[in-house]
Amino acid sequence: MSQTTISVEALFVYAGTKQLLGPINFRLMAGRTLVIMGETGAGKSLLAQAILGTLPDGLRSSGVIHLNGQRIDQLSPQERSRFWGREVAILPQEPWRALDPLMQACAQVQESHRFVAGLDKQTASTATANDFSTLDLNGAERRLPGALSGGMAQRVAFAAATAASAPVLIADEPTKGLDAERRDKIISLLAQWPNQGGALVAITHEAFVARQLGGDIMVLKSGTLVENGTSEEVLTNPRASYTQQLLDAEPHSWSKQPAVKSGELLLCAKNLCIWRNNTCLLKHFTLKLHANERIAISGPSGVGKTSLLDVLAGIRSPDEGHVTRMRSVGHTGIQKLYQDPPAAFPDKVPLGKSLRDVAQLHGVEWSVVSGYLSELGIHPSLMERRPDAVSGGELQRISIARALTAKPAVLLADEPTSRLDPITQRETLAMIAGIAKERGVAVVLVTHDLDIATKWADHHYRLDSVLS
Amino acid sequence: MSHTQILANTPQQRGLNFARLLGLSLLTGLALCAVMGPELIGIDPARQSLMHTLQSPSAAHWLGTDHLGRDMLARLLSGAQLSLSLAALSVFTAAVPGTLMGILASWRGGWTDRILTLFADAVLALPGLLLVLMLAAISPGSWWALYAGLSLTLWVEYFRYTRQRSRVILSEPSVEASRLLGFGAVHIVKRHLLPEIGPGLLTIAAFGAATAVTAVAALGFVSVGIRPPTAEWGVMMTQLLPYWREAPFLILQPVLCLVLTVLALHLSVGVRKPA
Repeated sequence: MSQTTISVEALFVYAGTKQLLGPINFRLMAGRTLVIMGETGAGKSLLAQAILGTLPDGLRSSGVIHLNGQRIDQLSPQERSRFWGREVAILPQEPWRALDPLMQACAQVQESHRFVAGLDKQTASTATANDFSTLDLNGAERRLPGALSGGMAQRVAFAAATAASAPVLIADEPTKGLDAERRDKIISLLAQWPNQGGALVAITHEAFVARQLGGDIMVLKSGTLVENGTSEEVLTNPRASYTQQLLDAEPHSWSKQPAVKSGELLLCAKNLCIWRNNTCLLKHFTLKLHANERIAISGPSGVGKTSLLDVLAGIRSPDEGHVTRMRSVGHTGIQKLYQDPPAAFPDKVPLGKSLRDVAQLHGVEWSVVSGYLSELGIHPSLMERRPDAVSGGELQRISIARALTAKPAVLLADEPTSRLDPITQRETLAMIAGIAKERGVAVVLVTHDLDIATKWADHHYRLDSVLS
Repeated sequence: MSHTQILANTPQQRGLNFARLLGLSLLTGLALCAVMGPELIGIDPARQSLMHTLQSPSAAHWLGTDHLGRDMLARLLSGAQLSLSLAALSVFTAAVPGTLMGILASWRGGWTDRILTLFADAVLALPGLLLVLMLAAISPGSWWALYAGLSLTLWVEYFRYTRQRSRVILSEPSVEASRLLGFGAVHIVKRHLLPEIGPGLLTIAAFGAATAVTAVAALGFVSVGIRPPTAEWGVMMTQLLPYWREAPFLILQPVLCLVLTVLALHLSVGVRKPA
């Protein structure tokens, strides 16, 4: 009989008197998987933080948590920190940000083996070498995290987190910001964890991840449990309408956006070639962009999608070929949406101030801008906040409003929804399609999701890696 | 997000904690004394009275008199005026060009960056006081040589810090977005760069001012900076040193003034909360 590794009874999280999460109950055996699914803001990460004892200041939790037979909820954060890595390991969101940027990859893993697992220097370095070869990280040992790809950095973080072979692994949004190939790789890595006798708690907003990992599933919505059961049951036959909504929001179940009649020619790219480090990323790429048109460009990471957008935007010049901007497209007629919305705004400036600057520069009345904002469902009170105090989905919509203020003819969107949860992703892309249709804006969408590219766009260009 | 923020304390990290409050109030007090003090007490710091030398504090002379019977309070205040204004002036004229050159180097890159960095490294290669001493040798005892020397040493830090931080910020998507929206350099400096590097620059300025105050006193003390009979803390220390047995409270006064000023400047930056 397998033993319970982690159990949570009547867990609540409060901010002051306001209840943010709860009640949550679950019990996880060794060798089993629990997927916690829900959109952004559902309280998935709060649950992980409550278990680890790392809730942000001002939040408190109540309830009973047992970890490997020990009751831990009453321990102080210092006492709980002794369990990290030893009893419970965490793979953080976007793990490349959790690695020390000034330390070689192998040193970071070795550090875990030595100081968390308590091995001596020799054994630790053998164990590290072992990890690197089993995780297919050969050659990455001496690199700094900045020189690793997203998928590699994630595997390094995985090795560091699991070095002390904690029986419980919590993976927070393991697939966020990864392309399909890397996504599959990390999922298969995580799927091995229960087979080796560990217990896995995976936090995700993608039904896809839940389907691949199997096990049990809990669906959360605004801090409360909506549905739970085995993942087969819940994913094929959901009882709650919210679960159904989450499943419908997956790109492969979208209905195709109706095609729109395209207008005048705006931008013409002929025979573009783009090189990076003596490798030709793109060869003889030709594109004609008309008003109202929606074009998708897809392909794996590192294939030159972003460079292509930069060439189209005129930020970078192509190595061969040329881009012709029609006269009707002014010098601010091409605007861009970014993958990481917080990085697209100056972070110390309130959003309202940023937008007012743009309105003033382009001679647009503020009432017009607030019109865009309300159309996109943004509450005016958000304008007083700084970019980091607004959710990713809201911020992406605010950046759409900012781009519209400059009255663009062409909108270039670089993976604008890859960091958003599926429901928000669908809404945001529908809004962008609406803008293309109603305002005669041409949109070029870069995405790594083939489903989105085929369902959303009128035309789909698929770039393939030259290297493979 | 930068991981090399050694100096960039955000307002949250600075907080308005006790240490910072103490530093800021001390600094305000010192500055007020330096600006208004000499006027208020109305005693000439150079007036000698050989009948009343090395006196203890009294109603007529609140902090006593020195070996030539000059009023200590008047001399300390006049010394504070000299040190603080020299520090403020050299920090200001180091900070503005240093910051602007840092922005220029990171903005233009290429040869501009290389030449400016080479220049900064060349200045950095000279030990700070050596440059001041060289200039002081050209014009012994004059305040402007001190000022020019200090300013020429201090600008490098602003340059290096601004260049390093700006390079990261200018490559962020937010700056690209602003350019695509049609904004020019002024907007990018005002909205993207200054809010990010401002707090760090203030920290460098406070430390730079402390360096300047110490350097002025140190050069005065070894008789290569400001010359007697000007009332300057370092000069006062040298002059009162022979009398430390008879009147220890006299030499203690300029020393304490120097310590308090440097302490106030350092505390005013705030103590960073441990992460």
